[in-house]
Amino acid sequence: MKKTPERIEALAAEYVLGSLHGAARRRFERWMMESVRVRQEVWFWEEKLGHLGARIEEEQPPASVWAGIERRLWPQTGNAVSAEAANDASGRWFWPGWSMLATAAALVLAVVLVQQPEPEMDDRLSGAIVQADVSDPLWLVSESSLDRQLKLRPVAATAAQQGKDYELWIVPADGQPLSLGVIPVGGTYQVTLDDETRALLSNSRTLAISLEPVGGSPTGQPTGPILHVAKLYEL
Amino acid sequence: MVTSNSEQDDLMGLLIAVSREDRLAFQRLYEKISGRMFGLCLKLASQRDLAEEAVQDAFVQIWHHAGEYHSERGAPLSWMLTIARYRTLDLMRNRKSRPTSGDAHLERVADERDGPLDESLRVAGTAELRGCLDELSETQRDSILLSYYRGFTHDELSEALSSPIGTVKSWIRRGLMALKRCLER
Repeated sequence: MKKTPERIEALAAEYVLGSLHGAARRRFERWMMESVRVRQEVWFWEEKLGHLGARIEEEQPPASVWAGIERRLWPQTGNAVSAEAANDASGRWFWPGWSMLATAAALVLAVVLVQQPEPEMDDRLSGAIVQADVSDPLWLVSESSLDRQLKLRPVAATAAQQGKDYELWIVPADGQPLSLGVIPVGGTYQVTLDDETRALLSNSRTLAISLEPVGGSPTGQPTGPILHVAKLYEL
Repeated sequence: MVTSNSEQDDLMGLLIAVSREDRLAFQRLYEKISGRMFGLCLKLASQRDLAEEAVQDAFVQIWHHAGEYHSERGAPLSWMLTIARYRTLDLMRNRKSRPTSGDAHLERVADERDGPLDESLRVAGTAELRGCLDELSETQRDSILLSYYRGFTHDELSEALSSPIGTVKSWIRRGLMALKRCLER
């Protein structure tokens, strides 16, 4: 289906209203990833229809809701549960929800078509890690089955704040994320993927970047805020 | 419950602080808007446990993504409520897709004694969209408001408004486009 202005206009409105379902909704989310114009149309409706939400009668959520938020965000400071157990529990909750995060939150993903002549059969995954308020992608990602390398090339990425590092993760379709190491400042970051890791990535095609203490997560699982989630596409 | 500019400024300040991982600001933000957010999710889902889960998920997302808010996405409150609304709709769809809970939403529709759309919501919606909803036909307006506030699918709308699905779809589509023309004037 072609992205005509009329279609973008009609579908964006239905997307925000929630009446766009199933495959049509997923196709439109793909359009959002591909085009600023589409995202702006969505934002128009989010802004307009958002006013409707402000007029609903308030109802205080039970205290357990806030307690649950704290438990999920800062499991290590919980009193009742041990840090490890809590982290485990939050991980189980958090990761399956990521596919949704990537579309509904402010985070916007882009598809970058890297044109490269391919003389041999080579399955390539490609994508970009972008931030809504930065016009260039932060990093460009490419992965090739031939040389088994995942490459992360910085474009608009800046160094992590003092005392922190960015850590790269594969987010599997289910289960715990797998670290691909700390991303060094400046220069292209390359990781060689073994068969198992590559299978995980080509299955979920989802990467994430979290903010960690210098040297990376001390626990082997993300401990800091998740800054970015990116979906890769097959070229 | 009007959101003044100064309140939006307060919320903006809190969001900026949250993007710097200020937990105290995050808690204040929660105290300020969780009542409105929970009210919206509850209205949408008609299920307390689902609404509670949606509010939790939304705040976890707000914590992680506060730095990605920008003014093109609407006022800070709208942006946060939008996150909660999408999450609620997702959870509702997930539950509906499970075969065992297939009838739950039909009961919900059938149980609407005073009609599916409260008069208060109709009035509130009209006031918020600068009178533009008044320019729509009653059926267009109701199908849009039912989708927004109650998360009705085309099937549910068709049942609630006793009209064929095709008709309901066209009310929504035409209503939204008429609304846009009015809002852009």
